[in-house]
Amino acid sequence: MMGLLLTLFSPIIGGFIYGVERVVKARMQSRQGPPVLQPFYDFVKLMQKRPMMVHSFHASMGIMYFISTWFAMAVLMMGNDLLIAIFFHVISVLALTIGAFSVRSSYSIMGAMRELMHVVSYEPVVILLAVSLYLVTGSFDIAKILTSDITPIFSLPLVFISFLGVMPMLLHKSPFDIAEAHQEIVGGPDIEYSGPFYEAVYTARWIEYVYVYFIVFLFGGSNYFLGTFLVVFSFIFINAVDNSTARLDYKKMLKFAWFILIPLSMLNIFFVVVGAN
Amino acid sequence: MNDLRAKSPWITHYNTGGCNGCDIEILAALGPKFDIERFGMLNRGNPKQSDILLVTGPVTLRCRDVLRRVWLEMPEPKVVVAMGSCTHGGGVFRHLYHTENGIDGIVPVDVWIPGCTPRIEAIIDGLIEGVEIWKNKTKEKEYMVGHSEKLLEKIGVLND
Ligand code: SF4
Repeated sequence: MMGLLLTLFSPIIGGFIYGVERVVKARMQSRQGPPVLQPFYDFVKLMQKRPMMVHSFHASMGIMYFISTWFAMAVLMMGNDLLIAIFFHVISVLALTIGAFSVRSSYSIMGAMRELMHVVSYEPVVILLAVSLYLVTGSFDIAKILTSDITPIFSLPLVFISFLGVMPMLLHKSPFDIAEAHQEIVGGPDIEYSGPFYEAVYTARWIEYVYVYFIVFLFGGSNYFLGTFLVVFSFIFINAVDNSTARLDYKKMLKFAWFILIPLSMLNIFFVVVGAN
Repeated sequence: MNDLRAKSPWITHYNTGGCNGCDIEILAALGPKFDIERFGMLNRGNPKQSDILLVTGPVTLRCRDVLRRVWLEMPEPKVVVAMGSCTHGGGVFRHLYHTENGIDGIVPVDVWIPGCTPRIEAIIDGLIEGVEIWKNKTKEKEYMVGHSEKLLEKIGVLND
């Protein structure tokens, strides 16, 4: 019941996170910033625009992105398998990229390619995270992870650090906001969406926030207080990094993910396995 | 609902060949001192997702059809804000061989911001004025000044 409610409200929670983030970002640049409810005003505004689409397949892929992200969220919130949630998240990103490849705008196509580079960089680390959680708690089930006596963060510190490194790629934050790159390719995969269809993509991004921060929350195990602390810490960390770095190119991102983050996670898993024997 | 909508105007800024003075003032308006994000305004740079078209410059002949396209790509309701003397009939570029003498004959304008270059306070004033007009507009399709079959075909939007 609780899971269902959380799933239904996850766009609203995500909207709040995004609103707070915009205020935090503004304050870090010593600006006043928009009101906290700004994402919801944007929501109402986009709803009232005249629907315009490139072609119907493109628009439906945007909506598909929204639905499958929400589905991944539901799998997480209902306490089901972590792997299934991760795979649904990949499907949602693929829907977005397929939609972006289907139009002729070169920015859109370039954004889709870069989005795929994002997937290639962060997906192995996320899968390793699921594997290491399984090794520590003995289950892929979220419900079991959240009730196990072991606190995963204490036995998986390196995996947590590598997930912190991956979070900017998942959330499109600087220095790894390569797919979105507002000054270069003006939003990348979502450039051709407008009005209510952009709405779907925009809201899916909020749900992605909840999805990512919920995975961080899993590191607290049954200690919810610690989990909340980790979420707040990672939120502040990600925003600090976002505001103090410049965008890198995709090769640097790929190298960072494959040569630093994956070995870090592997090392941690190695120690966990050695320690267990 | 319309009041909620008025809190989130997104801007596309298009320079049609001015001297860049106006554009620098717009960047200053986005910065810490004036911060127009207080009103929910974002510089999206993407006509498909924005509501206010902020035009600077005297519309050179090369820019004319691009300006029309940018305007056409914005979904209604939308507002055009013309900024700087250049857009009001040419300014210092008036009657040159390569300009259109302002954007008046190209797209329908809702708000004019005078000055060369306008002060930032004037820009914010003009944008707020534009938002007030935008609040009362509907989804109904708008047409550009002097649109003809030939023109639409040239810009490539005939089958829209
Ligand atoms: S109005 Fe003046 S400052 Fe603005 S672009 Fe034209 S010449 Fe430059």
